[in-house]
Amino acid sequence: MKRNFVGYIVLAIALFLIALLRPYAFFYGVQRGSLYGLIALPLALTLGIVGLLNLAHGEFLTLALYMTYLLFDKLSIDPLLSFVLTVPLLLLFGLLVYKLVIERSLKTHHLNLLLLTFGVSIVMVESLNIWWTSRPRNIYVPYASTSVSIFGVYVGGYEFLYTLAAFIVLAGLLLFLKKTRLGQATYAVGQNPRGAALVGINVKFVYAFVFSLAAGLVALAGALLSVRSSIFPHVGGPFTMKSFSLTAMAGLGNLPGIVLAGIVLGIAEEFVKSIPGYTGWADLVFFVVLIAAIVFRAFGRREG
Amino acid sequence: MKYFIIMALCVLCFLLPFFVGAYMIHVLTSIMIFLSLALSWDMMLRTGQLSFGIAGFFGLGAYASIIAVDDFSVDPLLSILVAAIFAALVALALGWIVLRLREIYFAITTLALSSVFMIFARNLSDLTGGSAGKVLYESIFKGDSIKIYWLVLSVALTVILVSELFQRTRIRFAINAIRDDEIAAKCSGVNIFKYLLFVFVLTSAIQGAVGALYAQQYAFVEPESTFSANFLLLPMSMALVGGIYSTLGPIIGAVVLGLASEYLKLVMPYGHLIIYGLILIVTIMFLPRGIYGTIANRIATRR
Amino acid sequence: MKRLFVVLTVLIVALAFASTIKIGAVLPLSDITGRQAANAMKLAVKEINEAGGVLGMPVELFIIDDEMKPEKGAAAIDRLATVEKVDFFVGGMSSGVHLAQIPILKKYQKITVWIGAASYKCEEAIGPDADWYFHLHPWDYLQGESYAHGWRAIIQKYPQVKIEKIFIAYEEGAFGTSSFKSYQEEFELAKKGTGVWAGLMKDLRGAPFKSAALGGGDYRAVLMQAKQYNPDLFIWAGYDADAIPILIQAKEIGFAPKLFVGAPPGWPADFGKNPLSHGVILYGMWAPALKDVSPIARHFWDAYVKEFNEEPATYFAPLGYTNIMFLIEGIKKAGSLDKAAIIKALREIEYDSPVGGVLKISPSRIIKNQGFRAQKILQWQNGVQHVIWPFEYQTAELIYPFPGWTGK
Repeated sequence: MKRNFVGYIVLAIALFLIALLRPYAFFYGVQRGSLYGLIALPLALTLGIVGLLNLAHGEFLTLALYMTYLLFDKLSIDPLLSFVLTVPLLLLFGLLVYKLVIERSLKTHHLNLLLLTFGVSIVMVESLNIWWTSRPRNIYVPYASTSVSIFGVYVGGYEFLYTLAAFIVLAGLLLFLKKTRLGQATYAVGQNPRGAALVGINVKFVYAFVFSLAAGLVALAGALLSVRSSIFPHVGGPFTMKSFSLTAMAGLGNLPGIVLAGIVLGIAEEFVKSIPGYTGWADLVFFVVLIAAIVFRAFGRREG
Repeated sequence: MKYFIIMALCVLCFLLPFFVGAYMIHVLTSIMIFLSLALSWDMMLRTGQLSFGIAGFFGLGAYASIIAVDDFSVDPLLSILVAAIFAALVALALGWIVLRLREIYFAITTLALSSVFMIFARNLSDLTGGSAGKVLYESIFKGDSIKIYWLVLSVALTVILVSELFQRTRIRFAINAIRDDEIAAKCSGVNIFKYLLFVFVLTSAIQGAVGALYAQQYAFVEPESTFSANFLLLPMSMALVGGIYSTLGPIIGAVVLGLASEYLKLVMPYGHLIIYGLILIVTIMFLPRGIYGTIANRIATRR
Repeated sequence: MKRLFVVLTVLIVALAFASTIKIGAVLPLSDITGRQAANAMKLAVKEINEAGGVLGMPVELFIIDDEMKPEKGAAAIDRLATVEKVDFFVGGMSSGVHLAQIPILKKYQKITVWIGAASYKCEEAIGPDADWYFHLHPWDYLQGESYAHGWRAIIQKYPQVKIEKIFIAYEEGAFGTSSFKSYQEEFELAKKGTGVWAGLMKDLRGAPFKSAALGGGDYRAVLMQAKQYNPDLFIWAGYDADAIPILIQAKEIGFAPKLFVGAPPGWPADFGKNPLSHGVILYGMWAPALKDVSPIARHFWDAYVKEFNEEPATYFAPLGYTNIMFLIEGIKKAGSLDKAAIIKALREIEYDSPVGGVLKISPSRIIKNQGFRAQKILQWQNGVQHVIWPFEYQTAELIYPFPGWTGK
């Protein structure tokens, strides 16, 4: 316990120093990291509650982005407002995928679910590729590139929406899991599905609910991302493994840890990127910090 | 009797190039590469450890082999052994730490390690050629596709042999015990860590050797394509579709998916991957034990 | 005996008339560039066959998807050579895939006219002895050289333009890194007073980024480095997915160099619609606007749109058309299917290409048969790509300096 506390103090000091020496890296890191955290939260939900690593997670994001683009292009609906439509649509899509593909195989070997979601991701990417081609689409809104001044530092303001959204979704999920009956049932299913079934919780319903909810939350991230990112069939793919990394780094069941891990990794990445000559190694920092966090936690548990 | 059939099949495989064209030889060589990767992944899986690191050791072996031939004038055939040893040593060094992890943590760490290997390959340009990669003057055996086929076949048969050994000897009991219940296994006196390390090092060596084969066949390495996620996801799919925890399963999976992916695109130039994805989904939905797993189960329950 | 002779002759003649000229193409069909190149090739073959074919024979085109995977691209060559039994190989895009195909191509040594693979590594792999190998796409270092000629000409025409300090943001993969490498090599020469950039480039800086196409998309750290350096000329070498995000982020941090240049192989669908695009300079081989200044470009554009109900999106479309037409011209000039004769003919012909330029073969650093050596310098103006240089294809005057972000 004490070792953990010391670790966090060291981390806080390191972050403070980075904020002082390289404020841009700090702010960009917070922004990007929040985005990773925001997208990782739904994956952590399905992994923790349903026990399923959804390899099509990134593709749900891609689908949400294309829907947002369609609504913007054909109906001129502002992307930040379109989530009102895309979230329910993705919720339904998630439910569809769950019912058609996932549900039957829940009782089989857990790796089958991995292959199923892999198959779903291939079908989704290729279908989008046929429909839209690989040529990227973009949504332009003037407010996506505004700047704000923080302590005299001019930083892009839009991406702080990621941070806001990440904390809102995190708080929402925590409140949901602790305070609502459905949430408590969901939490119980995650802890012990058999026990939960014994006390009368409809486990199947919870699974369907969580999978769909995850898809809906991804749509939320998609709405925010749509004005800053190009939209093409493979855009969401890399986020699947990033989300998985954050979930593993924070530890299963540790939702706040995911947002924190995202921000810490984001800052570490941006810090290295800001050093001229070392920009190419920024990726390495991400993985080294990830591996270190997982390994230290495993060893810590052993000795504890 | 069974051994006679197996021998006959092996001889048939060796003689095959004389009856089929260059294209089929090429496709079969590719299938055997993926088959070996699928088997090595399954062998690790049998101990209960889900590894996402195959592409990483594949790439390590590929680079080790190309660098050995290009910078140290090692004979291409020997470089495959060099690659296997190099991959094994890296696995040994990393295994001490990484094998203490379980489940998703082991999986994500092996995936992270694969990415780390790729970043090193990309950034250590003096050694590895950087992002542009390294090119050899010519392929192994001067590009003779039949000799390459025989080499890859020999390696594949060796991997199949190792996999079967695992299934038949005492190792199998230790591994199954570890997979089913580690604590019980430990209490029965099984040195879990020793077995895990052994399997990890061995499967990594196989992956390194296969990476070297691939690199020598095409005479180049390049960070993006050599460490491609395809070398992780496709072998995994093949093992799952064919039937995990067996030797015949990954073989069947590799052959079925390998042939399907090649012929689908000839019949359907646009959108063939959609069919491929559907095949994965439908197979697992209706044959949850994989192709071989379902057949083996039917035979067993009929008895 | 005489009757046998007659029968055999008739048989051979009949076979000659029954046979076709077979061309095998390998392209990434899942990518828009590959798909459109394939379409353009089909269009070319259709036009040729409607005009009576070549040497009295129709042309048959076989296209196989390389799926952007080296082993699939290589297997495709084996298949085309031994199953479809093609006489010629065409196509190509990715350098990585081509590296795997090169050993296989060397096995068959059929006449190969390749429109892909810009990496110098491929040239190294092919080697100096491959007389049968024709490479139409400019190598990365040739592209770099051509821009020097372009800027020199532009500075002469527009004396207020200055390009002494250059900053390159390059994607960290093979494509971006080799682009940067060619600039570095040129800079070393320029420092000594030699090379095509001498007197133009006085200082060079570069930084890598992860392309949005591969999971990146955050360029602000690199753009900040560029902003601090304050270059005369800023170039980003990445993919179409980077085009708009890098503009948005440049605006966000207030970075507006006098020359903002993008060098992706293609541009996203909505780039022109985006008000930030006005004044962005691009390095490329082709622009739709060429149809207004080049009759063959106009012909290709109209025919492609009519046949496929879509507009050509990247230079690979006219390049695919060029690929087939150039090869066929060579066969026509040779007058036979004799390999040596066709190689000789291809080295001699000049083909006016819809890409916007005359295609003529000359040696590059290692290989003997290199086609296009130059790219063009273009500029987005009011949503349209205009050619600035070469001046014989110029469709608009240069807007200098880059208008920046005010009011956008």
